[in-house]
Amino acid sequence: MPAVELTPPEAARWAARAGLALPAERHAAVANHIHSVVAVLRELDFADVPPAAAYRAVEEKHDAAV
Amino acid sequence: MQPYELSLAAAADAIRDRRLSPVELVDSVLDRIEKAEPSLGAYVTVAAEQARRAAGEAEHEVAQGRYRGPLHGIPMGLKDLIDVSGMPTTASSRVRADHRATADSTVAARLSAAGAILLGKTHTHEFAFGLTTPQTRNAWDRGRVAGGSSGGSAVAVASGTATFALGTDTGGSIRVPAALNGVVGLKPTYGLVPRHGVTSLSWSLDHVGPITRTVEDAALVLTALAGHDPRDPASLSVPAADYRPGAGTNLTGLRIGLPRTYYFDNVDPRVETAVRHAIGQLESLGARLVEVDIPMTRYIQATQWGLMVPEAGAYHEGSLRAVAELYQEDVRILLEAGELMSAGDYLRAQRSRTLMRAEWARMLEEVDVIAAPSVPMPAVGADETTVTWPDGTAESVSDAYVRLCAPANITGLPALTVPVGHDAAGLPIGMQLLGRPLGEPTLLRVGHAYEQTQPARALATAV
Repeated sequence: MPAVELTPPEAARWAARAGLALPAERHAAVANHIHSVVAVLRELDFADVPPAAAYRAVEEKHDAAV
Repeated sequence: MQPYELSLAAAADAIRDRRLSPVELVDSVLDRIEKAEPSLGAYVTVAAEQARRAAGEAEHEVAQGRYRGPLHGIPMGLKDLIDVSGMPTTASSRVRADHRATADSTVAARLSAAGAILLGKTHTHEFAFGLTTPQTRNAWDRGRVAGGSSGGSAVAVASGTATFALGTDTGGSIRVPAALNGVVGLKPTYGLVPRHGVTSLSWSLDHVGPITRTVEDAALVLTALAGHDPRDPASLSVPAADYRPGAGTNLTGLRIGLPRTYYFDNVDPRVETAVRHAIGQLESLGARLVEVDIPMTRYIQATQWGLMVPEAGAYHEGSLRAVAELYQEDVRILLEAGELMSAGDYLRAQRSRTLMRAEWARMLEEVDVIAAPSVPMPAVGADETTVTWPDGTAESVSDAYVRLCAPANITGLPALTVPVGHDAAGLPIGMQLLGRPLGEPTLLRVGHAYEQTQPARALATAV
């Protein structure tokens, strides 16, 4: 688990900022669990790697010959 | 043999040769639905009269010599995330109680044009956000989960209440229920089958594909589904193709990647035994086994969640603020908690995907196909929520079912699940074949070759 977890009141406050009224206790637990799963990605050295937000499973073939 | 028991290919041959009329086939499947549906719960809606009317028209066309091809007169189910004009797309959710689709999805339109006949809409785990489909029962044991999220489609195909069906797959939602119900499921290459008119769970991970009784059947459905549609921004421009595999079973020269890591870790020994036995069959057909190391395994779940959770939250943003109380509790809490994820987390997942795709592409230069289990364990009991592995690791049932499927969603690679036997309790086991982008012909060839070495499979027994 990450060192810094959201407390229930903090989870409620974050959600309120996003326009959601949440029963804080359970949501803090689920949000913290999700955070603990995705936090491992911080270990990766991305250097100049771009996000794959718009991607194709097939690489385009760039052929100089016309 | 009753018409409802026929594979798609066998039914198509019989219809083409006028040994079977679409009316006989559709009536037989509708009778089967009447018998099986009360105990299985695969369907949200059955449109019996509409199906009978369409069957009559299909019969008339055949009699007039206007045969459309192998889907002509074949009855099918569509997962209830797929729009059909004039019908509600409920997503198996109270949120969609008043929904009515005003146009066909691309896949519904293509299947209709190919002559397929809609029987009804099948259950999904609510909005596809789950792996069990609690409304539906496993086709082999009613006390066990159907798998999900395309549970209704898989159970319908397995039990003879649809000759084929469509599902969607964001983290295994075609392959998981197909494996757990002993049928074939194909998650095509990302972008090969257009998603226009299909309710999204996660745009960058969603796929639509067939669930069928045989690999050949999956190829026949894919042939009708594939092809560019600019209304899906991810849709690929690929020429139309006939995916039906050839009859040969010789796999000489084919290199099959056998994972040394990840795919056989924390897997039920009965699953491992059945899958390794099936891989041995492929070797005996001439394929060469090459051990491979799966890349970046530590980051698979993080990448899957980092993409799926915020994309799903974004799709449901409006409904969560308007009618949150209409969602089931398990789905609602995930969607709401997902809104607390940061943009930084999402971008790290997108960048991780870039790395992962490149690593998988490198691995797939060494082999043509990777063979592995589809899911780590057969269908669990309907009330089980966690599984404990021999090393003491506890894992949620959902996480376990997604674990071996997620890499193909993250990378967009095609993946096919093929039944390879049953455990001691009679529950089906699936082998997963993964290929290169647009490598469907190779996957279908390998899967079809394997099936030809095996006795024909019977329908499920829990009806």
